[in-house]
Amino acid sequence: MNLESLIQAKLDGEITPEQNAELETLLRGDGRARRLYLELADQHARLLQQPPPLESTPQQNSGTSRTVRWRTAALVASAAAIVLLVFALRPHKAASREATSYGAAMLSQTLDAEFAQPTIRSGDTLAPGKLTLHKGVVQIEFFSGATALIEGAAQIEIISAWEARCISGRVRVHVPPAAKGFLMHAPGVKLEDLGTEFALNVAGQDSAVHVFDGEVIAHAKDKAPASLKAGMSLNSTKTAVSPTDFLPIRELQSLIRQREKNRFEQWQQRSADAGEDTRLIAYYPFKHWEDDNWDRMVNNLAQPVVYSRNGGAVGARWTQGRWPGKEALEFKRPGDRVRMNLDGTYAALTLACWVKVDSVDKKYNSLLLTDGYESGEPHWQIYEDGSLMFSIGYAAPGEKRITVKTNQTYYSQPVFTPDSLGRWHHLAVTYDNASGTVLQYFDGKEVGREVSVLHQPGRPVVFGPCELGNWGLPTQGHRFPIRTLNGAIDEFAIYQSVLSPAELQTMFEQGKP
Amino acid sequence: MRPEPASRTEQLVLLLTQNQEPLFRYIFSLVPCEADARDILQETSLALYRKFDQYDPSRPFLPWAYRFAYLQLQKHREKSARSPLLFGEELIHLLALEREQMETELNQRLQFLDHCLNKLTQQDKELVTSRYAMRESVEDMMRRFAMSRRTLFRNLELLRQRLHDCVTRQIQSEVLS
Repeated sequence: MNLESLIQAKLDGEITPEQNAELETLLRGDGRARRLYLELADQHARLLQQPPPLESTPQQNSGTSRTVRWRTAALVASAAAIVLLVFALRPHKAASREATSYGAAMLSQTLDAEFAQPTIRSGDTLAPGKLTLHKGVVQIEFFSGATALIEGAAQIEIISAWEARCISGRVRVHVPPAAKGFLMHAPGVKLEDLGTEFALNVAGQDSAVHVFDGEVIAHAKDKAPASLKAGMSLNSTKTAVSPTDFLPIRELQSLIRQREKNRFEQWQQRSADAGEDTRLIAYYPFKHWEDDNWDRMVNNLAQPVVYSRNGGAVGARWTQGRWPGKEALEFKRPGDRVRMNLDGTYAALTLACWVKVDSVDKKYNSLLLTDGYESGEPHWQIYEDGSLMFSIGYAAPGEKRITVKTNQTYYSQPVFTPDSLGRWHHLAVTYDNASGTVLQYFDGKEVGREVSVLHQPGRPVVFGPCELGNWGLPTQGHRFPIRTLNGAIDEFAIYQSVLSPAELQTMFEQGKP
Repeated sequence: MRPEPASRTEQLVLLLTQNQEPLFRYIFSLVPCEADARDILQETSLALYRKFDQYDPSRPFLPWAYRFAYLQLQKHREKSARSPLLFGEELIHLLALEREQMETELNQRLQFLDHCLNKLTQQDKELVTSRYAMRESVEDMMRRFAMSRRTLFRNLELLRQRLHDCVTRQIQSEVLS
């Protein structure tokens, strides 16, 4: 059990003596753990003491007096809260634990791969454990520097960055000097690579080895270690190995390039169709126009084209998108952005984009924001904890600005973790002003669904001057908060309707790299 | 002239009523078992009554009361020292020190808790109501929500975690987006 679960079990009185001892050790050794414990215990004590009025029972008389008392207490404390804010914002909050990962390798390339674990994607970090490949070819890069090319069907166990086991199937291993000593286990034999390249074929309980280049020490059961040099093979009675059985890495790379080309061509066709959707307000496929001497055009290709909705890049540089040949704009410096001006008043919206986030390094990381933040203007960002954050607000009658009390903010579960950074992901959010439901999606899957308590039906959605990847035009002479996205965008669509979960799932499936 | 004993008692009753809630929270943090914490609160109230003539009304009441609560929970610990579910003395001491430093922050968190409770789903609200407001037994709740004991506690754990996350986020996101 992790720390949080141990604390919760303690508070529920469900903890065992062993778990209690474990919790005690954790708490004694770590100030942050004690802080978390104290916060959770205090919350629990409050729940036990005085349950606050819940919406489900608002009409009861006993509830009313309780409400009043609760509010009074909050009021008294709120004066102090202003002072406390200073404390709450102190850097100790930010002094979080250093990020950790269990990874030992990464899945660097895949070709028509089907895994027993369907969620695995190219680019994933692989923790020690078994990897079952039903079909296709994959390339695994161990953190030691060794690379393995695996042809399905195969089963591989990653033991560490320096050690793996081939349970079945064909594997070709390349070991650069830095990874000398990399160990590959197979039934009946342990192979110690002294540099460069060998292939291994495992069928049943039999292993066969062929060395293409360099030297491998084969430690077979009950035998003295044997040195295998370039061109030598070690065959068992039942299983043989021939160099021609193995797919050369060059061939895999050319197959992968071919597939990327096909995917890109398919996408271009779909993109042209997508632009015909009458629900679009604007559609930016991030096409870099060869004849654009200024190099700054980010054109709206929603048909029929409304030229006033064309975007203009500021600072952001062109880079490669999801495939070779597909362009994207990269946002890095505090000024980088794409400016747009979207006219009209709407009852609903869907924002959908393909984005590669390199780092969530600011409190708010912009996707699409309107200049300023006036009534009915949507803001879509990535919050510092890696969640998607959509907000829209309406100033109270008689007030000019949206305040904390009138701001409607919706967070998804955190989606940007160290493992999802640096890769292309599909993000989407939908909102309609009748039901007030905000749905957020990550790679076609729902990751947030919420209706704000502040929702009132029928209030319009507007954009006006707005931008991608950054926020607002700084007023002259004023400092401005830096919310630049650290990453790249290669497709952005803005609709005036709510797209269905099925449509967004399809959008992800068809557009994924 | 010395104050009338009755008026001193009235003063104490008033102070205790006002501070019952924070006192309970303090005790519960150090002895996280509701029944024990309530016993200790009772004993603390009695101790405060006995020593109330030593209280200096020009000073804040709670820090003074905490010292008595701490003594009472030490006594309570000695009585049930064999229980394997008690925190060790050293840890309790650390927690008590750190909690006093965090007190203003903890109070601030509770203000946001109200708001976050309202954001719970309907089922979570019902879970909170029956577990905390109605004090339903675990067995009744298992029946009512058609959940195994494990699932029930898991759901309670998750919802309290969501509340905690929500409060943390509220505190951090006072900057208007």
